[in-house]
Amino acid sequence: MKKPFLECSLLHVGIILSVIISLVPFFWFIITSLKSQTAVEAIPPTWWPNGNLDAYRSALLDHQLLNYMMNSVIVAGSTTIIALLLAIPAAYALARVRMKGKSLILGGLLSMSMFPQIVIAGPVWEILKHIGGLNTHWGLVLPYLTLTLPLAIWILATFFKELPRELEDAARVDGCTLWQTMSKVMAPLAAPGIFTAAILTFIYAWNEFFFALLILTDPEQQTLPVGIALFQGEFTMPWGELAAASVLATLPLVLVVLLFQRGIISGLSAGAIKG
Amino acid sequence: MIKNFTIVFCIFCVPIIPISTSSASETAHTVLRFVTWKADNPKIWDAAIARFETAYPSITIEREIAPHSSTAYHDLLTQKLKSHDTAMDVFFMDVVWPAEFAMAGWVLPLDDRFSVSEQKKFLSATIQAGTYRHRIYSVPSRIDSGMLYYRKDLLQKYGFDPPQTWGALVIQADTILKGEQPTHPALRGYSGQFKQYEGLVCNMLEFVGSHNGLFLSKDGTRSTLTSPDAIQALTFVRKHIIQRLATPAGLTHQEPESLAIFVQGHAVFHRNWPYAWKMANNARYSKIVGNVGVTLLPHFPNGQSVATLGGWLYGISAYSNHPQEAWTFIRFMTSPQMQKYFALQASLAPSRTALYSDTEILTANPQFQDLFPVFQTARPRPQTPIYPIVSNILQRYFSRVLAFPHIDPFQEASITDHQINHYLELVQSTPQ
Amino acid sequence: MTRNSQESTTGWMMTIPALAVVGTFSLYPALDSFLLSLHRIYLGLPTIGQPYIGLQNYTMLMQDPVAQQAFLVTFGFVLLSTTLEVLLGLSIALVIHETFSGRGWVRAAILIPWAIPTVVASQMWRFIFNDQYGLANLLLFGDQVSNYVPWLASPTWAFLAIVAADVWKTASFAGLLILAGLQVIPDELYDAARLDGATAWQRFRHITLPLIKPALLIALLFRTIDAFRVFDLVFVMTQGGPGDATQVIQFYGYKTLFTEGQMGYGASISIAVFLTLLLLSVLYVRTIGTTLFQREPA
Repeated sequence: MKKPFLECSLLHVGIILSVIISLVPFFWFIITSLKSQTAVEAIPPTWWPNGNLDAYRSALLDHQLLNYMMNSVIVAGSTTIIALLLAIPAAYALARVRMKGKSLILGGLLSMSMFPQIVIAGPVWEILKHIGGLNTHWGLVLPYLTLTLPLAIWILATFFKELPRELEDAARVDGCTLWQTMSKVMAPLAAPGIFTAAILTFIYAWNEFFFALLILTDPEQQTLPVGIALFQGEFTMPWGELAAASVLATLPLVLVVLLFQRGIISGLSAGAIKG
Repeated sequence: MIKNFTIVFCIFCVPIIPISTSSASETAHTVLRFVTWKADNPKIWDAAIARFETAYPSITIEREIAPHSSTAYHDLLTQKLKSHDTAMDVFFMDVVWPAEFAMAGWVLPLDDRFSVSEQKKFLSATIQAGTYRHRIYSVPSRIDSGMLYYRKDLLQKYGFDPPQTWGALVIQADTILKGEQPTHPALRGYSGQFKQYEGLVCNMLEFVGSHNGLFLSKDGTRSTLTSPDAIQALTFVRKHIIQRLATPAGLTHQEPESLAIFVQGHAVFHRNWPYAWKMANNARYSKIVGNVGVTLLPHFPNGQSVATLGGWLYGISAYSNHPQEAWTFIRFMTSPQMQKYFALQASLAPSRTALYSDTEILTANPQFQDLFPVFQTARPRPQTPIYPIVSNILQRYFSRVLAFPHIDPFQEASITDHQINHYLELVQSTPQ
Repeated sequence: MTRNSQESTTGWMMTIPALAVVGTFSLYPALDSFLLSLHRIYLGLPTIGQPYIGLQNYTMLMQDPVAQQAFLVTFGFVLLSTTLEVLLGLSIALVIHETFSGRGWVRAAILIPWAIPTVVASQMWRFIFNDQYGLANLLLFGDQVSNYVPWLASPTWAFLAIVAADVWKTASFAGLLILAGLQVIPDELYDAARLDGATAWQRFRHITLPLIKPALLIALLFRTIDAFRVFDLVFVMTQGGPGDATQVIQFYGYKTLFTEGQMGYGASISIAVFLTLLLLSVLYVRTIGTTLFQREPA
């Protein structure tokens, strides 16, 4: 059906506005990152960069950006893998197996995802101190698992719930155990859901700041958000380098979003609404 | 052959896994972990540490670079100390931390190593800062104190001598702004550090102190922010510095932002620590090379110039496995030769008194001569084991009065006095 | 063993590892925080020990002007930012729900703010609101340098700047949740309404809005809970200043616990935050009520 003119132009204005507002701050940082130190400090600011890559060189060499990125990859990567290994069976059982108190558990998980970080921060720090997890990547992965598991389980449970029962029943009749049914039949079918949960977990762990700040005090171990937040020289405020570092830190995520926006959108909405 | 390989292997591994190698190679080789902040002139530090390692080949220094913001650094360091981190041996302490660290048992007392006669060779303010309940916990690496930088060219152009009083500073800045702003709209009269953070306490101590005011009573048992002197100084800053000369933008500035404004030529007067001299005269960063003057901070008619004591002290972690080697390192880094090196290379003001008659240092840093009396009388911030709490309360108080033009300072001060007194009573009630 | 009970046992075995992790690092710490909040603990004063003091920390909290201010700022932040986010999110959802060429790219562009680290977003907005080099002043005043506004120096503007950054960062997330609600509305409803001659506004008012109400409420719930925990933005952009105008409760709790070493008092702040959040979510869930729990996987 053809839309009336007004509705159509309203839509276009909406599209253009949304895109501009979403991207302008990012573009401003890209422009800044391509300026020389003098151009960054010009008052009033200049609109066009002078195509200077010093800021990138300095962000990579002087500010050890690659090191921060590597740490983030390790932490976010292992969080994602372990979270999924734990969440898939749990979600499958909660969605499909007859168990008492399931809804209590799901409700409990949901409410735990609402805990403010501050209420668990102190004791988590104490636990990690006792088991030697401070200043280690695995010490950060443990709280991250706690923070990401509830959402991952909810998303996956939703997916499992919507899969047809027939295949599962057939597998059980063929003598598959519950584990086999899950890993060989159901998990492959829920692949889109698993994929979505993986991306969301990864983004969460890549971006988390509060616990990273608390647990990783050794700059060699710190993740990107900590590096970016504490980005300050002794005597200067290096905006150009900061912008360059931010752009580089964001690029992987922009790529993920461009490639997987469909999965992210369906996953988020599934987890939230149909859950 | 195999032995050689092992040695090579060790050399390569040491920087990566410092702790695991400690037991076997203890006597032969020690790796000291030194926690310091992110220096803007890392090469100067690299070279200094290389000198130490050449002089003491059996000790390798491994640096851990912490964020430079004093608060962020404090949190990081205390996290490590709370967790009894044995990997850390030596660290830099801000001059306001020794009481807290000593009380918590985090830092080694140095009385048997750092003799009283040796202590006497340092500026007394820096020794006082490291002393808590009659024991010494640190060796001062340098001295920092607030000072007034100004644009020599601009003052000359308008026929002014550096201001002695805050009132004179305001008049001079006003005159210069009136003349310059038409062609230079970004120019400000004053740039200091007024963001809600530790630096705000330092800046305000200088205003309040030079008005004969105190934060705490002389015996340190009561907060005295409601005293007329303290209130008048604060009202002056709000009215003349924040709302006129610095513009409210000053409320977002820490050292880097305020220095950037000055070195780009956008401020007539600038309050900062000694390092700013070198930066302001370095053509890589600065557009005002050669036009920088530095002098004592002004005072109010009824007071004397007060400079807040700052600076960094070397301390040894109570959990270090290598206190002796750590001491060797500290002794080397605070030796006259090394302090001279830092003074020449980075214009860090020495903590040893004798170096202020060294002609080479004075040629490179002519400002040290005039500022020597300031260094000798630099004013410490309150010395208390709960300094972080007191500082946060003070920051909030000053920031509120400066940021809200209509708040009544006296009413705010009485609330603040009450808050601080609550904590001071708690400290007094603790067993010694 | 019957097949059912055996299956149930396996089911528990599948669930327990995940629950154990969550329990150890979430449930137990929360309980431990509560215990800590009943003691007087100052890291800087080890000689006073760690005496049990009942609810004294909580009475102190009631009288603490900083905490009161922090709660006030946080509530203001939550109210303003979630309202704006849900409204903007609704517009975004309506836009990206339509079919048009290049929709994939538009959706991706809108998702970018949500995907980048909050810390990075905070630095971006801090720079945009910089008084000298910032985009905000450049857009508003061009080269009229003397008119440049130091946004983050004004208590009101600094607060609004943090709201703006949060809205920018998360409106698209709210939009996605609402989009999910839009997607379950069958097209036939709209077609029928069009045949009856309903205007776009009438269709929105009488079909869309009632049907996406649950989605709106869920977006509101998620955003409220998240906004209440704001920390990164304040840490990077203002450190709580000027004059505590952006002192939010989680930042105050962080400073009390980890900068000042008031472990007992800090714990009582964190428990208060927790209880407030719990109260808020209970209120929401009761409002949403049936819609959420009827849809739970059973």
